[in-house]
Amino acid sequence: MSLKFLSALCLLAALSLSLGDNALAADPLNIYFKTSPVIENVRPFADPVNLSVLVTGADGRPVERGSVELRLDAPRAGSWISTDIPLVEGTRLLEARLPLRQGRANWKYLMPIRGQYRLFVDAVSEDGRKSSQVFEFTVSENRSKWFALSGFSLALVLFGFAAGRVFTSAKSSSALLLIACLGLGGQALAAADAEPTNYAAHLDIEAASVGKPSRVHWRLNGAAANSPAALTLSITHLEKEKIVFAVERLAILGEFTLNFHFPDGVEYRVTAVAEFQGRAPVNVERIISVTGVEPPKRAMIPALSYFLALIALGLVIGRWTKRHVAT
Amino acid sequence: MEKILAARLGLELAEPISFLIKSSFFLIACGATLFVALASSYPAVHDTLHNVRHALAVVPCH
Repeated sequence: MSLKFLSALCLLAALSLSLGDNALAADPLNIYFKTSPVIENVRPFADPVNLSVLVTGADGRPVERGSVELRLDAPRAGSWISTDIPLVEGTRLLEARLPLRQGRANWKYLMPIRGQYRLFVDAVSEDGRKSSQVFEFTVSENRSKWFALSGFSLALVLFGFAAGRVFTSAKSSSALLLIACLGLGGQALAAADAEPTNYAAHLDIEAASVGKPSRVHWRLNGAAANSPAALTLSITHLEKEKIVFAVERLAILGEFTLNFHFPDGVEYRVTAVAEFQGRAPVNVERIISVTGVEPPKRAMIPALSYFLALIALGLVIGRWTKRHVAT
Repeated sequence: MEKILAARLGLELAEPISFLIKSSFFLIACGATLFVALASSYPAVHDTLHNVRHALAVVPCH
């Protein structure tokens, strides 16, 4: 009895393994990802990047109808030195479902920080075929920032060097020193809401603050609800006048939802234009103020330590050169 | 003048110790200045130096 049960169990296990292999082998969708310009030329907060996902069947033909679920994660925090926007590190930047048009989903995005991003793509075709893939890509820091940091570092060393020479003397008495300290202030910007400007469409944006994604929900109202439309939606950073996210002519049915992480505590303009067949386009625009969140003070410790170490290095070199010359 | 005063009061220090004291105070002053300039959230300072903070690539801002 027990032998029969054991053999049945073995048969079941073998069957499930073979089915699993078949399922893997018959993985029906291929997902490809590319950026324009190529990712090596992309810099944080420089220009928006065109990102594109292509979904094809096993035969290489683009999937005619379907959608992709996109999730973009920011680079994780480094072990020591942070980026200039530490609150964004390791957070979810974008979550959206985009319809496929000739197998493609395109969108524009402005990368906020340097580091390795991860894009999770879940593709579903109209006939129910599914596939998932994770893409990792690295955005390098702007060279001008490294030049600025090098220049600042050199200036600190020279400053310390000069002080080291001044403080080194043959004979010295007590020194009089003044230290000025300033207190800290707080700042909080409240999210300001604007009224919708068009009766036929509505744009809801959750109160946005740096550090977490906010829900952006666009929908058609009244008679136009659930109508097929081509939606063009863009989010613009008003201070820098740069597009941080955009999709063009998305085929949607009455509504579109997006979870978007606003990376900077400034004002953004969200614009949505829906085009219909034989009807005038519906335009809605809102300006939102994103609450800036002060990064934790401990995030500043590595950078401050680095700068002070440079000054100390300058002090030592200055003293050494002065004594060396004197002897 | 200060040297004469220090000598009369017996406050004269050996040169290495004097250098250490001066350097310590100097570094504290530099640290405080850097903290205010690069980490303070006081609006007047933050708004003036916002672009500088971002330009240095390693200074956290928002």
